[in-house]
Amino acid sequence: MKTRKRLIVLFLLPASLVYLAFFLVPAVWAFYYSFFDWSGFTEKMKFIGIHNYTELMHDPTFLLSLKNTLFILVVGGIIIFALAFLLTVLVNSGIKGKKLFRAMIFLPNVIATIALTTLWAFIYNPNFGLINGVFKLIGWKAGATFTFTSIDHIFYAMMAALIIIQVGFYLVLLMAGMDKIPAEFYEAARLEGANQWQMFTRISLPLLWDVISIGTVLYAIFALKVFEFPYAFNQVWPPQQLYTVGIYLFIEGFGKRIPIYRLGYATAIGVVLLLFVGVIVLLLRRLMRREVIQY
Amino acid sequence: MSAETAISNPSQRRQRSVDQLKKWIGHVPAYLVLGAWSLFTLFMLVWVILASLKSNRDLYKNIWALPTQIHFENFTKALFTIDMGKYFLNSLVVVMPSIFIILALSAPASYVLSRKIFKGSNLITMIFIAGIGIPLPLLFIPLFVILTALHINNTLYGLGVLYIATSLPFTVFMLTGFFGSLPVELEEAATIDGASDFQVFFRVMLPLASPGLITAAIFDFIGIWNEYQLALVFLNDPNKSTLSLGLYTLTNAMQYTGDWTGLMAGVVIVMVPTIILYIILSEKMIAGITMGAVK
Repeated sequence: MKTRKRLIVLFLLPASLVYLAFFLVPAVWAFYYSFFDWSGFTEKMKFIGIHNYTELMHDPTFLLSLKNTLFILVVGGIIIFALAFLLTVLVNSGIKGKKLFRAMIFLPNVIATIALTTLWAFIYNPNFGLINGVFKLIGWKAGATFTFTSIDHIFYAMMAALIIIQVGFYLVLLMAGMDKIPAEFYEAARLEGANQWQMFTRISLPLLWDVISIGTVLYAIFALKVFEFPYAFNQVWPPQQLYTVGIYLFIEGFGKRIPIYRLGYATAIGVVLLLFVGVIVLLLRRLMRREVIQY
Repeated sequence: MSAETAISNPSQRRQRSVDQLKKWIGHVPAYLVLGAWSLFTLFMLVWVILASLKSNRDLYKNIWALPTQIHFENFTKALFTIDMGKYFLNSLVVVMPSIFIILALSAPASYVLSRKIFKGSNLITMIFIAGIGIPLPLLFIPLFVILTALHINNTLYGLGVLYIATSLPFTVFMLTGFFGSLPVELEEAATIDGASDFQVFFRVMLPLASPGLITAAIFDFIGIWNEYQLALVFLNDPNKSTLSLGLYTLTNAMQYTGDWTGLMAGVVIVMVPTIILYIILSEKMIAGITMGAVK
């Protein structure tokens, strides 16, 4: 019994201490900073109560960042899951090379975000890029001169790229769930004369519910804290059209070209972001809760 | 020969080949969609590699053409003139020890937590996993204060500590799932044979868990190798830059230099390690995604 206690302490303590010191404590500490006006690491902090939060509610740049983030979450999420489902059904339709297709579609997920943004910068480049090049080849003038990365379109161009990259991850997740469903279910349904769509809605969807539920939570977390891809998408300084909440926090805290640090304000943005993650994850878990189907 | 296999009747044979043709035609849409998607990814990779071997003049003249002459100097320039070689070493110096420490911390912790041998182990597991949902930007400013107080801000040590702490939630999530799936009987047998708790872990469970540990190591490697967000915030000294951050700086410089082929060489240098890992271990990695999520 004594060794058991020693085992628990020795095995659990190191990880817990590191996690506490460099993750949990800073997360809690952030709440404290968010009530201060603090313009630099050497400056004095001034307590201003909830002023940072009230200012946030009227800050057009913050509201734009929030809108962008929620757009990535909701619209991006719906498209990603629809595509991932479509591809899962196609990959599982009895074709050859299932594993190869899965591996290829997942591939972008192992490449550094910054390499991916560079790739997409080429794909969208109006002068010698891939898409405009294809339009030029087929002789479509209007398409060939279209600038995908102009200020009006850059957010959607970024979204499209992000979606194509992310789909592979959810494809892998859904396929793993599919593999757990016994093949007899589909055979029985086929004998009864069910078509692909019926088999999908009556067998796959209900039995995949657990996987879908975890997948949506993972996507929500990813979408709410997304930073790297939109931040680097424009190659140089990101225009406001690409701001997500995480990016705006960074810009306010560290990233201005003329360094005006607003550390308290930036931390308040982080706190709001954390609250969004918490509320949305709880909401999703609530919405997706269902009786587990045993099989 | 049974009656069924001996198809002597020509009309039966025709029927069979018609069925096969129908089945094949039914698969055409799946092949088209999956093939196009996979080819797009493959084409991009090949294109980047080709572009990295071209001269800038070749690239601007015709983006589709093969390089007229192989320009390896893009790589030597990237590695030595733009210091990607130094960044590569910096990345190795941060990533390798970090992975080792992450596993050394989280394997014992996950083992103890997965066995649920004490009150509150579920709660502690939950607290670890909750870290997956905490947005990193929230931690920027408190971590900045902590690292500065410890005199490890703007150093590779400091960055390594952050990588370790921020990788713990996902690693613990994966490994508690993996240890939980290992049978208890083996431990009991070892205990009956007189092994202490420590011996059970090091002699029995750790070797059994090695596939899970390897998968976790690959995941952490890819995550940390590719990340530039924390590096961007916590490293200001260009000499200490990691590879991903270095590539980000390079894309920023592009607007002045116009050296696309040099940039593509940089992209290749960043991508190669993770893609090689992926080619060798893709099945393991794909299994890893489902380790925590799909039970």
